[in-house]
Amino acid sequence: MAGHESHPTAPPKPRATPEEMRERKRLSRQRVSDDSEFITVSMGPQHPSTHGVYQAVVDLDGEIVVNTRPNIGNLHRGVEKLAEVKSYHRFLPLTDRLDYISSFAMNHAYAEAVEKLMDIEVPRRARYIRTIGDELCRLSNHLLWLGVHVMDFGAQTFFLICFRDREYVMDLWEMLCGARLTHSYARIGGVAADLPDGWVEKCRAAMEFMPRRLAEYQRLVEKNRIFLKRTVGIGIFTREDCVAWRVTGPSLRATGMERDLRKTEPYAAYDEVDFDVAVEYDADVYSRYLVRMKEMYESCRIILQCLDQLPEGDYINQDAPSQTFPRKKQVMRDSAAMVQDFMQTFRGPKVPKGEVYKAIEVPKGEMGVYIVSDGSSIPQRLHLVTPTFYHCQATPALFEGEMISDVVGIFGSVDIVLGDSDR
Amino acid sequence: MGLKDILKSSTFYEILQGMSVTGSYFVGEKVTVEYPKEQIPPFERFRGVQCLISDPETGELNCDACHICATICPSNCIFIESSEGPDGAKQLDSFVIDLTRCIFCGFCEEACPRAAIAMTSAFEFCTYNKNDLILTKDWLVENQKNLHKELRKR
Repeated sequence: MAGHESHPTAPPKPRATPEEMRERKRLSRQRVSDDSEFITVSMGPQHPSTHGVYQAVVDLDGEIVVNTRPNIGNLHRGVEKLAEVKSYHRFLPLTDRLDYISSFAMNHAYAEAVEKLMDIEVPRRARYIRTIGDELCRLSNHLLWLGVHVMDFGAQTFFLICFRDREYVMDLWEMLCGARLTHSYARIGGVAADLPDGWVEKCRAAMEFMPRRLAEYQRLVEKNRIFLKRTVGIGIFTREDCVAWRVTGPSLRATGMERDLRKTEPYAAYDEVDFDVAVEYDADVYSRYLVRMKEMYESCRIILQCLDQLPEGDYINQDAPSQTFPRKKQVMRDSAAMVQDFMQTFRGPKVPKGEVYKAIEVPKGEMGVYIVSDGSSIPQRLHLVTPTFYHCQATPALFEGEMISDVVGIFGSVDIVLGDSDR
Repeated sequence: MGLKDILKSSTFYEILQGMSVTGSYFVGEKVTVEYPKEQIPPFERFRGVQCLISDPETGELNCDACHICATICPSNCIFIESSEGPDGAKQLDSFVIDLTRCIFCGFCEEACPRAAIAMTSAFEFCTYNKNDLILTKDWLVENQKNLHKELRKR
């Protein structure tokens, strides 16, 4: 399936099948018997290649990784506990700080869960804006991932080229919501503000231009023999492993599993746009790269479709005054809206009793929010099921039997942001 | 492996292909700006350090000391003290924003029913002294000079 099979610069060694991989793991485990021969190396938490403050204590037999002890929690801020003292509205900006590369997707996941709990509708225009926002996040996240991932293999310039193009997306975000990284743009029942004047044209221009840039990246990287030798057949993580360790997102789709919540459980406006789920079948680092590359093309396609079909209407639900904020313009003019504003701030939203789980597809995998409500305006318990936590958890199985020099690349390939994992 | 493949692999074809992309940037237009000398103006919705809005004619603050911004603030960084004024109305005594806690979410501006507090374009506030980040009422009124958008009058 992958395009590199017949390429002349592909490594001569045939790619390891999952069976061979298991055999390799078995052999490396046999060497564990005599632990006097181990070298224990501590990677991180301040190592630049760990993409944050993640520490891996690696036991080495020669150059082969035998055992890994992941150590997370250096960025722990107690977000879940903070949710228990803040009203549903006030917790929203804190979700930005989970996966700070794609903040809006996190806002969106939280807002979707709360809306499911309150059982309120989101206007169609707001759903389209949310879809555009999600895909912009995916684009900027994958661009950053790509730059850093290729830099892990030693290419410095590529990082800067990716960041230059990520800047177009950042500018769109700044124009839309006023922040480049911590967006806080979603609201319960809609989004914070309507699209500003000229945004649609600017976004369309950027999205028509982006595929050309992506093609340029492929020319730069995809056939490079250094890149191929360091990615093809490295870090194989089979479908069974992914399911066992709950690795989701592009890493799962790189194993041939067509699981994408945008298709299987459509939310926002994903059921109204046409797109393909990117799938690869080799389950190695190179496949994960290919999946993300395809997803970026699909993101551009989805955004362009959304801009074409963008309906008129409200950007926030107006029919649920006891759950949502009024529009800012109305607050200045209308006393009922002002009362609604005060009630939402001082008393918080009206929430039914119950519990709810809602998961959406964020750029790194599946992000779920589980809320237990006791009927008051603050959640009794809020649990965030973030993808990176599970990716970090899977690292012992990912690294086992691999060379120490590949560990950095494999770790980068599953896409990690430690703010997401440590919460 | 045909002759074409041997030729491609021995001449480092794919490396040259990549280098041609890199080389094309020697002649292209540069995308960076030299920051302190040259600045990109922020967009209208940019969320910088807050300011308190006053009436340009009378100099009176729009703020009624209703505490809505202090209540909605997710990081509890706004501290308001008020007392009863001479005409019986609420009077704002002190308005303090603790920038060391502020997360710039813009909720204070959004919740305010009087357009009394607004986010400005000011983003350069590095300091050697942490106490400089505790912003008082006078500082916030003064900060109106950085306001970069038209606000709706009350």
